[in-house]
Amino acid sequence: MIEEVFSVQLPVNETLSLKRNRFAPSDITKATKRISIVTGIHGDEIEGQYVCYLLAKWLNANPEAIKGIVDIYPAMNPMGIDSITRGFPFYDVDLNRTFPGSTSDFLPAQVSNAIVDTVKGSDYAIDIHASNIFLRELPQVRISRANADELVPLAEKLGIDFIWVHDAVTVLESTFSHAMNTLGTRTLVVEMGVGMRITKEYGQNLTRGLLNLMAHVGIIDKPILPPTTLAVSTLNSEVFFINASKAGVFIPILEHNVSVLRGEKLGEIIDPLLGVVQETIISPCNGLLFTIREYPVVYEGSLIARILEDPKEEASV
Amino acid sequence: MREEVLFEISSLSRNPLKVKGYRFGREGTTPSCVIVGPMTGNAIDQLWIASQVVRFLRQQELANAAFIKGEILVVPTVNPYSFNMGKSFWPLDNTDIDVMFPGYDKGETTQRIAARLFEKTNNYDYAILLEARKDHVECIPYVKVLQTGRENIDHARAFGLDFIHLKEPSPSDTVSLNYNWQIWNAQSFSLVSGKKGVLQKNEANKVIDAIIRFLSQKGLIDYATFAASSGNIITQNDIEAIKSTAAGLFDALVPIGECVVHGQPLGRIFNALEGTLMQTIISPCDGIVSCRYDYSMIFQNAIAYRIIKAEAALNRYM
Repeated sequence: MIEEVFSVQLPVNETLSLKRNRFAPSDITKATKRISIVTGIHGDEIEGQYVCYLLAKWLNANPEAIKGIVDIYPAMNPMGIDSITRGFPFYDVDLNRTFPGSTSDFLPAQVSNAIVDTVKGSDYAIDIHASNIFLRELPQVRISRANADELVPLAEKLGIDFIWVHDAVTVLESTFSHAMNTLGTRTLVVEMGVGMRITKEYGQNLTRGLLNLMAHVGIIDKPILPPTTLAVSTLNSEVFFINASKAGVFIPILEHNVSVLRGEKLGEIIDPLLGVVQETIISPCNGLLFTIREYPVVYEGSLIARILEDPKEEASV
Repeated sequence: MREEVLFEISSLSRNPLKVKGYRFGREGTTPSCVIVGPMTGNAIDQLWIASQVVRFLRQQELANAAFIKGEILVVPTVNPYSFNMGKSFWPLDNTDIDVMFPGYDKGETTQRIAARLFEKTNNYDYAILLEARKDHVECIPYVKVLQTGRENIDHARAFGLDFIHLKEPSPSDTVSLNYNWQIWNAQSFSLVSGKKGVLQKNEANKVIDAIIRFLSQKGLIDYATFAASSGNIITQNDIEAIKSTAAGLFDALVPIGECVVHGQPLGRIFNALEGTLMQTIISPCDGIVSCRYDYSMIFQNAIAYRIIKAEAALNRYM
């Protein structure tokens, strides 16, 4: 059932509305579990659109399997999605830094407030992001260390490649996931792929993982085989960030999602005017190359890659 | 005056980004004050203010060698790249430098800019950030003081502006320059004013006067200034946000800084296709208009006006 959860009039003959598609069993009780699948907070991240489509398609085809409520919210920043705009258009703010929002603040904060209000009460929420246009990401769940005990077991049900447990950062208190976890909705943030693109394989795997999670918590009663991927987590290893020290054009040598060795060449930063290599990018550790730069132009400091250190390496020292 | 490049960031095809500082007085002299201009490329008022302060200090210093009594550093802007393109944020990835503090010198580009700026500016007794509001409004000049427990609100009175907003820090405030200065023991302030994208000299000049008054009162310069407001301290509870109930063409009737009374029309909203009057925005209280929506097209539920309620005059801080 399509429902409008927020609407506001725009200046010239248009209404901005946030919609959800609700799938529910006929007999809803207080014990009925509810999951919210949210995406499109950043308008340039499209990967979640495909997941919403696949999930809604599956639920349409299997109504008898639905034992809980599944709310699908494909577009939390509708103007942004339809105009390749990451932030909230006109206000130029990152919607995912305005949560939990407020009815007495500017429009983006009112939208955030409406999203929180409508998702509130869900037992689970999944916030699907792509990377931005600059980086390609292996599918991963990001979890604040404070929530790790509760959320890592849930994330494992997604059968996702990688679970990144990170330290709390104050500014992330203004994100959707923090707002919902604070309100008691167990919320996972998924990052995968790259901005402005859809990676079909990632979308298909995540959809299967979502169905597996839903089967596990009793929202659907049809057993789903999770993706065969075994999730690795950062609980026992470190993430290395590799940033450019020079400006230029980044030319990768390795593909994304491969194991790398310490000292291995990941790519080069070249200078097209001089015809020289400005910097050779070298892996600082053995591990999994889970983030690689997609957009070639770099400044000093631009993120080139992230590597999840191989925990075996530490054990052997 | 000594001009120096505080730091540089290289670029693929453009000339390097050079962040310049203008130093007055001897290094190590107390008291000391740093003034940092805009980090966004559309805060034109703030760039005007910073550059006019440099001009004033240089002219006075040339006329009177004993004019500078403390140490002053002015950084007119941190983001020339964005000014030169008419962009707000960092040109490549649209990130806001003022949510990157205290910065990280091995991190992303804007984290590195923040780290280098912070390193050059975190050892001053007083620290002033020139700031435009992030939402779509024009506002009267005011001092923003973040309530970290380290603030001394009395210092803010030396600016002589009418209002001092004592603000409880939000999560995004904790990564701002103003907040981090204060955590590192400076008495820090944001001077907030104007409207993004245009130069409003009348409002901007009030901020220039306020800075000169502050420098004089704090013993950084030898310069006589007139007495001004002792500063009304307000908090979020003293501000009434008045929202539009309709969307369309916005006809603002009342300028910022004007005293209004309960029931007074503040603005009108007309249907953008048919021209019919959709809403007359009415003041719900007596007070002073501190902010006004700054664009002629308005969304439904946008904050059209903010009014500092007259009842704030009973505020315990005054």
